[in-house]
Amino acid sequence: MHDKTIRRRRAVLIALVALSLILLTAYFGEARGGRLHAVQRDFLTVVSPIQDGTNKALKPVRDLFGWFSSTLHAKSQLAELRKQNDRLRAELIERQGDERAYATLRRLYHLDNELGVAAYHAVAASVIGASPNLWNRTIDINKGSGDGVRENDPVIVGEGLVGVVTEAGPDGAQVSLVTDSGIGVSAIINETGAPGLVEPKVGEPDSLLMQYLPANTPVSVGNYVVTSGTISSGHPSLFPRGIPIGQVTSVKEEGAIKSVNVQPLANLHNLETVQVLTYPPDSAPARAAHFASSVPAGQAQGTSGAGSSAGQLASTGSGG
Amino acid sequence: MNGGAPPTSLLLRVAALAVVVVFVQIGVVSEVPVFGVVVDLSPLTVAFIGLLCGSTVGACAGFGIGLLVDLTLGQTLGLTSLIFTAIGYGSGRLRELRDPQGALVALVLGAAAAGASLVGYSLMEFMLGVDAPVSFELLRQIVLGVIVDAIVALPVWAIVRRCLEPGLPDDPRRRRRRAYTTGGLSPLTRA
Repeated sequence: MHDKTIRRRRAVLIALVALSLILLTAYFGEARGGRLHAVQRDFLTVVSPIQDGTNKALKPVRDLFGWFSSTLHAKSQLAELRKQNDRLRAELIERQGDERAYATLRRLYHLDNELGVAAYHAVAASVIGASPNLWNRTIDINKGSGDGVRENDPVIVGEGLVGVVTEAGPDGAQVSLVTDSGIGVSAIINETGAPGLVEPKVGEPDSLLMQYLPANTPVSVGNYVVTSGTISSGHPSLFPRGIPIGQVTSVKEEGAIKSVNVQPLANLHNLETVQVLTYPPDSAPARAAHFASSVPAGQAQGTSGAGSSAGQLASTGSGG
Repeated sequence: MNGGAPPTSLLLRVAALAVVVVFVQIGVVSEVPVFGVVVDLSPLTVAFIGLLCGSTVGACAGFGIGLLVDLTLGQTLGLTSLIFTAIGYGSGRLRELRDPQGALVALVLGAAAAGASLVGYSLMEFMLGVDAPVSFELLRQIVLGVIVDAIVALPVWAIVRRCLEPGLPDDPRRRRRRAYTTGGLSPLTRA
């Protein structure tokens, strides 16, 4: 009887480990349109309404904890933000004049990029779930393909870029945050226009790394990093030009290239409502999204090296 | 729970607990960071199911909860299942071999489960090709994660035990220990 119990226990363990390994291998090896991905998408479709309901029911609890957390955080930032506010007010007044001049010039020279935000239609969505682990930084939202949301749509909040839609079901979608290990965004330093590639700093969930900046690029702490948009028509970008991503916190020089640490502007830990930028089917962003989705899943997500190249391919002409 | 199949009522309780924990984790707990890290209830729940129900149920619960997490979060299928299966089995074996009774068992096991989950996940990601250095920040996140999970382990243990204990069959070892510590069988057992 005892031997039988031991045999059964070991058999169960071996079966479960083998099943996990088979799933892992099959999922990692198949394309995004594969059978296991389809099962996952269908599951997401089924659980989206449940998640939405759970999220609404437990919102008071989350708000209570969030209130404590936000209060502590806010107190520590108050003095610094007051100083920053004074400085920004002065800058704003100066920039308003520049902005008027810029708008006039832009109209004169027809610089309205066809991939500007105007080419997109914003769909507001509530966040109904979030991933707890360090490596897969994802959130679930309550708008899906039924509302025009598709894979590779950019997702933003008032502060800046949040991420990109990686799975879209009829009633919900999954968004990989800019800090997810499979995401790469072409960007420029706003003050100088120097191009680079923004990637997550893996293991540091609140930080990004802007890489491949030429060594002679002038960059300083406090500079803003924004999406570069499409620079070359041969390499269309998923993201419109000029969406704020983050602020430079430190600069590191390694030989011929320079990399900078970037603090995301959007508070990715406490997202409640986001905007998904959708676009017409035949527009240039749609072509960019189609191009991005043609990159195999194992390369587009999960592995950083390949993920970076996928992001680079899908997102820019930042190098050129 | 050492021999024979677990009762159906216990399995239903484990399944219900698994579903509730995953949805609460994703819908609420993941969105409230504590000291900059997110509390992860799932490995704690798996470990405590193993500690209460034994290695076989622990491993099965670990696999199920892991699969549910992977499906719901759109992660690589099988990754969390593999790690949680090991956690559930390990904590089940701890019960079968040692049956620890100390007040701090839940805290220590919670910390161990959280550590195993965080380190296991990081190792698997490295093996799957995430090209990242083992930075001080990553180690800091893992250590902070273990501490925060250990802090919440005690209330989670109380909840899991409250949910599952009514479905657990009477364990002769625990009955003997109870009889020994109280100086005889309780009147309820004698009746």
